[in-house]
Amino acid sequence: MADDEFRQQALQHLDALHNLAVYLTRNGSEAEDLVQETYVRAMRFSHRFQPGTHLRAWLFQILRNTFLTFYRLRERESALSEDGVPEGEAPMFHDAPSRDSESAGAHMDLDRALTRLPEEFKTPLLLAEVEGLALEDVARIMDCPVGTVKSRIFRAKERLRGFLKDYEGNRPPRT
Amino acid sequence: MLRERLTRHPAPALLRASVREALEPRATRPPWWTLWGAPAAAAVATALVMLLWIAPRLPSAPAGDPAQLVVRAVLAEHARNIFWGESRSDVVPAALPRAMEESGVALNWVFTGDDEIQLVNAKPTYLEGRRGIELTYQDSAGHTVTYVIVPGGNVALPERGREQIDRWRPVVRKENGFSLIIWRQQSLLCVLASDLVSDEDLGRFKQYFVKVRSSTEPYVTY
Repeated sequence: MADDEFRQQALQHLDALHNLAVYLTRNGSEAEDLVQETYVRAMRFSHRFQPGTHLRAWLFQILRNTFLTFYRLRERESALSEDGVPEGEAPMFHDAPSRDSESAGAHMDLDRALTRLPEEFKTPLLLAEVEGLALEDVARIMDCPVGTVKSRIFRAKERLRGFLKDYEGNRPPRT
Repeated sequence: MLRERLTRHPAPALLRASVREALEPRATRPPWWTLWGAPAAAAVATALVMLLWIAPRLPSAPAGDPAQLVVRAVLAEHARNIFWGESRSDVVPAALPRAMEESGVALNWVFTGDDEIQLVNAKPTYLEGRRGIELTYQDSAGHTVTYVIVPGGNVALPERGREQIDRWRPVVRKENGFSLIIWRQQSLLCVLASDLVSDEDLGRFKQYFVKVRSSTEPYVTY
């Protein structure tokens, strides 16, 4: 694939990459740095990309690897509680859609719950359910078998439900 | 469906522009003058005429690039630190909370030092109308490094002078015999200044940048 064509196609996935980066880093400026670094690496290694394969999945793989290489070292997930779920404050959410307060509250709850998931559960869930990638592609990105991806997504959803139940229980009753 | 219920974070316009810029193939670009020569000449001529017309009416106070004004103020502050600054790492635990409270810039995490470089002072500062926090480090060779964080919502950093250091692309500059590394972190403008200017020293200065950048997370409290 010509460089220019590769560049154009790669740019089409910017929003999706940034979305995943925000959920991984939980920090706006770090998400931007991560996305920039992803594109710099993608261009540097563009000769390794095999035309005809899934460019979107390849970019997600670079983003995840970059995240694990540079960010995980000092990840706040080091503060794990007993069940492996990171403790911490809610991240910055800057683009919450304006809806009625109850719906927005549920929206925030879901965002908060998602950030509490460990990366190995959060990434496959986002890639499969939000970005619509095939499980085979997610497995390639995560560097694990498809069966593992399925089980992580299942467990991720279970944990999300648990967290959401907690939040609902703690929310003050409506007047 | 998770897809519909989850907040979507599209890429900001600035990021889109900088990624596009970063991917631009520099070698294949036509020389700038072939594209911009005529419009640039016309613009310069117009600007000169406008300048001659407007200059007498302009106020005499110097106006300028806000980033540059802050950088100059940081350099003055850095020079003061070198000559008069206190190097009392033992007072930092007490000075830091006070500096955060008075500056309006709080630090979730702060790099306090390692074998090579130590945080020796923290104080509130006021530069070019911006209240912020100033941290002073001293390395094992006795070089002073000043780290200033001020609100910088409206300050845009130029693309020129940017260098890739680890995973960031700050502006690296030499000015008046000092080295500077300037970057934005969320809505804050951060400047690191030192007298580490030779090629070898600059490499060390960049390492210090990586240390403070990766282990310090400031935010504006009001």
